Amino acid sequence: MAQFVKEDIAKLMDGALPWPAVQDMMKSPKDPDRFDKYVEILQERVSWKEQILLPLTPKLFIVAKAGQRIVKCTCGHEFGDYRCNWKLESLVNVRDDEASISEIYPGRDMPDPAWVQIREYICAGCGSFLEIEAVPRGCPPDFEFLPDLDAFYSEWLGRPLPDAAEFKDLTLAKIAEWSK
Amino acid sequence: MNGSNGRSLKERMASNDKAFVDTGHLFGLDKLTRKETDPGTYEAVWHILSNLCNAAWSVGCKVSSSPIAAEGGDALWALHTPTGEAICVSRGITAHPGLLADMIKHFIELDYEEYPGFHQGDIFENNDPHHGGIHAPDFDMCMPLFYGDELVAWASCVSHVSDCGSVTPGSIGFLNPDCYSDGICISMEKVGEGDRFYPWYENRIRSRTRTPDWVMGDARGRLAGCLTIREKLTEVIDKYGLDFFRDATKEYVEDSRRYAVGRVKSQTVPGRIRKSQFKDLAMKGKRILLGKQDIDCHFNLPMELVIDKHAAVHINLRGASGTVPFGQNISPVALESGLLMGYSHIIGFDMFNSGPKAAWKVEPPPSGSWANPFEKDFTASSGVAWAPAIMWLSSLYEVFGRLFQMRGFVEEMAAGAATTMTAEFAGMNQQNMYVAGLTLEQASNGSPARGFADGENSAWCLYTPNADFGNAEISELYYPILFLGRNIEPDSAGFGRFRGGLGHTAVWMIHGTTGIEYQCGCAGMRSKVVANHGMYGAYPSVPDRPGYASDTNVKQLIDAQQPLIHDRGDPEKPALSDIVTAREMHTTMIAPFVTPEPLHDYDIIVHPISGAQSMGDPIDRSVAAIEDDLNKGWVRRRVAEQIHGVVIAKAERDEFELDVAATEKRRQAIRAERKKKAIPFKQWWAKEKQKVAAREGMDPAVCTMWRTSMDLSPGYGAELRRFWNLPEGFTF
Repeated sequence: MAQFVKEDIAKLMDGALPWPAVQDMMKSPKDPDRFDKYVEILQERVSWKEQILLPLTPKLFIVAKAGQRIVKCTCGHEFGDYRCNWKLESLVNVRDDEASISEIYPGRDMPDPAWVQIREYICAGCGSFLEIEAVPRGCPPDFEFLPDLDAFYSEWLGRPLPDAAEFKDLTLAKIAEWSK
Repeated sequence: MNGSNGRSLKERMASNDKAFVDTGHLFGLDKLTRKETDPGTYEAVWHILSNLCNAAWSVGCKVSSSPIAAEGGDALWALHTPTGEAICVSRGITAHPGLLADMIKHFIELDYEEYPGFHQGDIFENNDPHHGGIHAPDFDMCMPLFYGDELVAWASCVSHVSDCGSVTPGSIGFLNPDCYSDGICISMEKVGEGDRFYPWYENRIRSRTRTPDWVMGDARGRLAGCLTIREKLTEVIDKYGLDFFRDATKEYVEDSRRYAVGRVKSQTVPGRIRKSQFKDLAMKGKRILLGKQDIDCHFNLPMELVIDKHAAVHINLRGASGTVPFGQNISPVALESGLLMGYSHIIGFDMFNSGPKAAWKVEPPPSGSWANPFEKDFTASSGVAWAPAIMWLSSLYEVFGRLFQMRGFVEEMAAGAATTMTAEFAGMNQQNMYVAGLTLEQASNGSPARGFADGENSAWCLYTPNADFGNAEISELYYPILFLGRNIEPDSAGFGRFRGGLGHTAVWMIHGTTGIEYQCGCAGMRSKVVANHGMYGAYPSVPDRPGYASDTNVKQLIDAQQPLIHDRGDPEKPALSDIVTAREMHTTMIAPFVTPEPLHDYDIIVHPISGAQSMGDPIDRSVAAIEDDLNKGWVRRRVAEQIHGVVIAKAERDEFELDVAATEKRRQAIRAERKKKAIPFKQWWAKEKQKVAAREGMDPAVCTMWRTSMDLSPGYGAELRRFWNLPEGFTF
């Protein structure tokens, strides 16, 4: 099995690894310790101490905090239980008219606001765009990934997490609370 | 010992199915004995067989006549086990190995082994979507291959003919209102024997297609490729032995299944993945064929994957919207074949064959949806069935890109794909010959952004790894057009930290015709909307918006040696209307469409080919990358400054220098501004649910889409209602 040093993996993440070295990574059998090295690099790059359980996106992580598993941004902003779509706890800027859409897509390139709205999901901590959706009105936000964290750690990595959480989407439960 | 043991192929197929259920291994192969005992020969023969298919592709395309196969290579050859599983395939249109495998299995299921029987030199074909074809222009062929008296394999081929006799000329039948308008139908037929087509097969082609010489030429190309496989395969078996061939070919398929499962387990994470996706087909007020087509349609193309703890991938399309009265409905068999192609790019690419199909389970798409039309609407058209499917597949790149990121395999990540907007011409060419056919511009999109770099410009295509848009000069020989431009299109990919590869724009001047139709076709494009591919905070790439002008002043411009149009120009100042005057001037067409009147000499077409999707916040893009793009003319100043947030220190002529410190300051201000402008999701949701309930500002096509999605998938509908707190029974 191939082995790659952390420095090279870090360069890859930053888009700074030379192309021949990237090709080497692509062509080699995958390194089984990649996940651990990757998480170590990410952990070293954030200013907070909670253990990263899974990098959800390049900026959002599922972390262990006080017996809970929550979604946390690189900047430290927290979004709550990972089983509830984190977008419900984000800021959002929605472009759904010609004026706002044409700021991005002017003239010939403007999509039709009666067919699509552009939703910018923004971190309340650092102001980063975390995701952008382009969907028609009525589309619930995509819950891109609900991991089965316990199956991942116990069955795939062979090291169960100390606690367990039911593999269950909690998004609609929060909506039900909001609807009361 | 004979491989059949006296059993029919149908019995062997049933036995294989049972062995897989019983053991979890294809053909019951719990051990890959040939691989383990002689890995060198195993690997060598794999490459020999693969190259045998590629040799067939080279021979077959050269024998073919249409520019689509001969110049674009839009065809594919494959080698199969006696029971149909694809062992290896050539380059070319990789959407088809699944279809070809299923076609052979279907011939076996229909007892063709008993009657009319399978013999050396027999030629079988299908292009009928009701029997597993994708759309009529894709002619699927297979030939049984014998070694001595034993049927040891099948050779297969597909080529995309230039015209299949559908109601409108060409091969991108988006306007077809029903299956009766889809063109010539070859429904699981024996079309030749003794290595020759039956005369009546050719008679039918000559009666019912508009370009019979090309269509028959392509048929001979398919045959030539299959015969190449047969001839070379005999040499391979002579050399390595029939026992080895029988064993190893089955092992290659099981090996590929194991690879796909192993890759999922070692490089992804179990859980549930969801990705919404939509595409428009706006036809209201345009040239149509039947009154029922005077409508706009929107498609819901949802993808949900559940990866279980055994690394099995369960895929469903719950929420897929209803059929449409156009040629954009696809059978589940064809959809799954497309999925095999996507899988071959992303997961199962070590040995591309039927193996990965056993690594997933696809739930039957909602009956009556675009993805499963025939149970409820037998007459639905599949003229260009590929169109919604290819856009659904685009989501596969992004969702697996996300999974690879989670495991740290950044080098494997990809964002979403570009679109497929075609250009076809029908009419008299400069040799006074009737032509109907595709250019190949669409086969060379930008490639998706990667996790560590931008995508490549004009070098990628979802449906064919050739990514070859053909030589301009060859297109000019076939069609009455002259290229005035074929340039990289700035800002044609999404805007993100890593940019999708850019597309290009072809600018054509009509030349040497008494009149020709331009059909700007939908083989998987968006014109009203942008893709839902804002991966990690990138903006999706722009909609497909072609243009044309007829009855122009271009001849006068040429005579006066004035500047001509060579590119698309700024979105707010299109080059077409800036440079050319015309009786009919359309700079921003909503595609797809067919020109209402034929085009004539000196008319102009501006046909953009899309760039791919990006990933990451655009203000995280490196200043050096933006400076480079500015200096190459790949990003316009407006996008660099307003979307990427850079500060230009110096701009002299077309050379730019950026101010890194000032850019960082501006980007901090942008982040603060975003927070100020945005509102908490809950606050937006509270207002938005009222607008949803009132259908406020929603186009009727969007409402129809939601209504059919919710009707056809009640669970999906219930979840949507609960999210927006809509009453039970609410419908759009």
